[in-house]
Amino acid sequence: MNDVIKIILKRLGLGLVTLLVISVIIFGAVEMLPGDIAQAVLGQGATEENVAAMREQLGLDRPAVERYFDWLGNALTGDFGKSLVNQKQVSSVIAERFWNTLSLALYAAVIAVPIAIFLGVLTALWRNSPFDRVANVVTLTSISSPEFFLGYILILFLSVKTGYFPSLAKISDGMSFWEKLDRMFLPALTMVLVVVAHMMRMTRSAIINLLASPYIEMARLKGVPGWRIIVHHALPNAWAPIINVIALNLAYLVTGVVLVEVVFVFPGIGQMLVDSVTKRDFPVVQACCLIFAATFIVLNLAADVGSILTNPRLRHPK
Amino acid sequence: MSTTQHGKKEKKELLLEIRGLRIEGYADEKWIEIVHGVNLELHRGEILGLIGESGAGKSTIGLAAMGYTRDGCRISGGSIDFEGMDLTTASSDELASLRGAKIAYVAQSAAASFNPAHRLIDQHTEAPVQYRIKKRLESQEDAMELYERLRLPNPKEIGFRYPHQVSGGQLQRAMTAMAMACRPDLIIFDEPTTALDVTTQIEVLAAIRDIVDQFNTAAIYITHDLAVVAQMADKIKVLLRGDEVEEAETVKMLEAPKEDYTKSLWSVRSYKREQKYRPTGDATPVASVQNIDAAYGDVKVLEDVSFDIYAGMTVAIVGESGSGKSTAARCITGLLPPTKGRILFNGTELPSSYKDRSKEQLRQAQMIYQMADTALNPKVKISEIIGRPAYFYLGLRGAALKKRVDELLNLIELEPGDYYNRYPPELSGGQKQRIGIARALAANPSFIICDEVTSALDQLVAEGILKLLDRLQKEFNLAYMFITHDLATVRSISDEVVVMKEGKIVEQGPKNEMFTPPHHPYTDLLLSSVPEMDPDWLTTVLEERGVDNIGEAALKKS
Amino acid sequence: MNYFVIAYYALLIGGSCLAAYYQKRTPFLLLFSLTLASFIMGIIGGEGALWSVTIAAGIIALAAGTSYAFREFLVIVLPREMSKTIKTAPLTASFGLFVVMTYAIAGIFAPVIAPFSEAEVVSSAFAPPDQTMLLGADQLGRDMFSRIIFGARNSVGLALLATAIAFFTGAVAGMIAATKGGWFDQVMGRIVDVIMSIPSIIFALLLLSIFGTSIATLVVVIGVIYAPRVFRLARAVAGNIVVMDYIEAAKLRGEGTWYLIRKEILPNSTAPLIAEFGLEFSFVFLLVAGLSFLGLGIQPPTADWGSMVRENATLVSFGEITPLIPAAAIALLTVAVNFVVDWMLYRSSGLKE
Repeated sequence: MNDVIKIILKRLGLGLVTLLVISVIIFGAVEMLPGDIAQAVLGQGATEENVAAMREQLGLDRPAVERYFDWLGNALTGDFGKSLVNQKQVSSVIAERFWNTLSLALYAAVIAVPIAIFLGVLTALWRNSPFDRVANVVTLTSISSPEFFLGYILILFLSVKTGYFPSLAKISDGMSFWEKLDRMFLPALTMVLVVVAHMMRMTRSAIINLLASPYIEMARLKGVPGWRIIVHHALPNAWAPIINVIALNLAYLVTGVVLVEVVFVFPGIGQMLVDSVTKRDFPVVQACCLIFAATFIVLNLAADVGSILTNPRLRHPK
Repeated sequence: MSTTQHGKKEKKELLLEIRGLRIEGYADEKWIEIVHGVNLELHRGEILGLIGESGAGKSTIGLAAMGYTRDGCRISGGSIDFEGMDLTTASSDELASLRGAKIAYVAQSAAASFNPAHRLIDQHTEAPVQYRIKKRLESQEDAMELYERLRLPNPKEIGFRYPHQVSGGQLQRAMTAMAMACRPDLIIFDEPTTALDVTTQIEVLAAIRDIVDQFNTAAIYITHDLAVVAQMADKIKVLLRGDEVEEAETVKMLEAPKEDYTKSLWSVRSYKREQKYRPTGDATPVASVQNIDAAYGDVKVLEDVSFDIYAGMTVAIVGESGSGKSTAARCITGLLPPTKGRILFNGTELPSSYKDRSKEQLRQAQMIYQMADTALNPKVKISEIIGRPAYFYLGLRGAALKKRVDELLNLIELEPGDYYNRYPPELSGGQKQRIGIARALAANPSFIICDEVTSALDQLVAEGILKLLDRLQKEFNLAYMFITHDLATVRSISDEVVVMKEGKIVEQGPKNEMFTPPHHPYTDLLLSSVPEMDPDWLTTVLEERGVDNIGEAALKKS
Repeated sequence: MNYFVIAYYALLIGGSCLAAYYQKRTPFLLLFSLTLASFIMGIIGGEGALWSVTIAAGIIALAAGTSYAFREFLVIVLPREMSKTIKTAPLTASFGLFVVMTYAIAGIFAPVIAPFSEAEVVSSAFAPPDQTMLLGADQLGRDMFSRIIFGARNSVGLALLATAIAFFTGAVAGMIAATKGGWFDQVMGRIVDVIMSIPSIIFALLLLSIFGTSIATLVVVIGVIYAPRVFRLARAVAGNIVVMDYIEAAKLRGEGTWYLIRKEILPNSTAPLIAEFGLEFSFVFLLVAGLSFLGLGIQPPTADWGSMVRENATLVSFGEITPLIPAAAIALLTVAVNFVVDWMLYRSSGLKE
């Protein structure tokens, strides 16, 4: 078991280093602003005093390295500084929105994952059948459509024309759980459409790959019945690819949420990021980017660790 | 095989009868027939050897005998009658209940054919439990007994390991045990020893032969190796490109083959070239390897290796996989700079990495590869492949280059006009290998490394290549370093032999001395493990050496 | 029950029976499952649902017909070798080719085709379609149809340019890394790992917030984000080739890196690289569209599909489909490219499936 732990620790270490490098990139990018942050935010028309005052307030006179470590240290304790636009604490605004985004992603995942895996396995088993061909065309179409296209189609047909669901996903604390689910249904469905397509295709190719391996042929030649080949011979080896598919698509869900949030005016972190980018509210942009990147990396890590743990060769060392 | 003489068995009940079997394969959007009406009869307890070169359709027929075709293949005609059931029309349920229970299969690659997620013994008991032939525990006990009969080490324990924890030769025997689990009437052995080293192969062969004999199981033994099939089969069927050439009892087939094609297969083994000796006096060797060590990362793969190769002579480097023979070649070419020792070329020391060598030094030593498919760029014209070295080293261009390429094509016995503008994928394996030789010759080298150049080729083609290499050696006084695991090839073409094992040289010397006793124990093991055409060879070796002095056990001792 | 519904089921069931009688398995399964699905849809959605199915089937049939005709056209027009390949193309691929060609024509000849210029105000805001304005007017009274035609030039042009940059740098770096190996390979690999562990749209937003949204920065930023993806693929493709003996032979001959890449590796990696170009293009195209939709891509008054969706989005809540047209234009092109790529990948993977 020691080997596995070593490999996993190594992988986790690598993830940590990546995260650190990314924090440097996120911080460094803002440093690369033409002029400096104060000038960029206040614009051409600002007076010298105003700019100087803002520099003072942000502590821009100190060297960049020192400010980076300050920023990182504070970020680790959950303090991302103050918004340049409304002077509010960034973390207080983000916390609630991040929670909203996560629940939206989770909502979509709960629907998408079982459907996608099930359909993916079916297309793999019935490959080259009419079902598989139709599924191929449909999933390709779904993947190729921009999220906002799907989103507006859903709004048009499921909300405006029929009134089944609310078109705007405005949620607030006072709502009941079911009410929230109802409000969030259309954005979740939009993401489900895209993610299911991706996952189905990935699951299909993973399973087909697996079914082509000699030990599956051997099982057939041993007269093992079809269902048992799938359950007993394919599945134990399919965990790694399937975990990979799920984690990668969850990562996609968390980041792909940006466009969907804007379409449905959903109070999530993605919409906040877009707003802050337009307003050039850099502390908020930095905070959002760091959170998104961290989530993305954690999910990728989970995928890797999952496939290490389910690899029989590593689980039973020599 | 019965312990009585081959083919002397009384006719028994017919077990399997294949009539006019036709199989098609799907390629380039078309169905193409790959097996053209093959007939086959097998009685209970009888062993049939299916022999043929690659693409003969042996495996396809073997699988069809179980009513199985791979994806992209289909049975298009004929009947397969097993104990009165026609497998071409049987339902998939009927077929499933037949497979494993009555017909079993042993695949070429045991490592890939065992499911990595389950213990060996669990895979063993799967079929018997499935068919309610045995209870789980009962079947486990039976597995252990079979392991013991197959002479696996620790038979009580080995089944509880996972496939990747067991060596290749042991896995192959475990798979044979698995095939035996339901005591089937017929087992298909699909090249079960092809991927193994000779010293391991003999052990697996002996085990398979014994167990099939003990349970009086009928078998179809598929292989491309005549000597192997001679040990195993009661009768042999020769196939060529999906057609049957001839069938006869083993002894008869070996002594008096009827068809020309079969005769040509047999005659290959008889090719022999006269042995040459080192020049007397103080001639400098063309290539001299002196005390080199080499390592991949921290793993030491060569230790204190030294040998000399003189002009006009062939030195064969012999060893099993992992012996370091190819690594020695990589050291000489400079792909893997040695960690210690030096390499001299015509008396001057070479820089250890090829990157530091001069064009002239690079030109002198050329290489011919095992897999002609990967040795020639499929997207480059033949004229360019052969012409490039001539242009690169000798600066030939225009008409002079064309003339040189034509000359080289003539040398390798290919018609220049036909091949000049073609691409490698359009050529056969032997033709590709010839182009590889021409590319090496184009540089006007004095020394050529031949890395297993014939082992991927069918025997007849391989002989042509060996003859060509011999002729070129005489013509240009070339020195060859001939890397091979095949002792038959060594015997036919080499002047000196270097035997390697685990990165060290075990023994070296002129061929005639090496092939006459007394040998180093490892050389002895190696020599005695190479199958011979004599059908009684395996029996004799086992009698002489004893079952405990072959294979892995003997390797440890030597 | 009216005549439409009766005719609808009669046609489906009749078709199924015919297919079954002639033992055409695939059409039968398709037709009959459609019949069964129609029962359910008819019960839930009424006649309207059946009309939608009919219209959808009509559109699919039209597309299939066009693709078939276009494929036959290509087979006749193209030289021998290529027409042989095209002959085996599935209808989806030839549909893709057809769409790509249409877009190319629209983009190249935009000023000739479009009745108005892209920024010209020709009527009142949100004017309904009429004879001169096929698709009506947008929120400022510009002709929607003309803007969509010009959008083909701007949106696709920008995405193509960005993809080309990403592709060129990524592919060259990837092949050098595979050929040279050593520290260059290691360092590039690490850099690429880091860039790829930032989600692309987030990274784009970060960079655009800093460097602004001019066309030049947009192209460079997207180049930076997508080059690593191309690098990985090129590295992998070239990596498979570099281990071949013919590369070893060339190395041992003393050939330089550039010769190896140009003469030995490139000819063997064109097929996967072309497919990858198509794939990357659709990713880039979707990203550009997304950024434009967020107001951070191509800036007004330049006609661009992503921004057109954003500008006209309010119409959706009135049940108008106008804003969906540019979005559909985006989707159609990406689908088309993906169809072609899918076919190319299938071809290069041979009979593995």
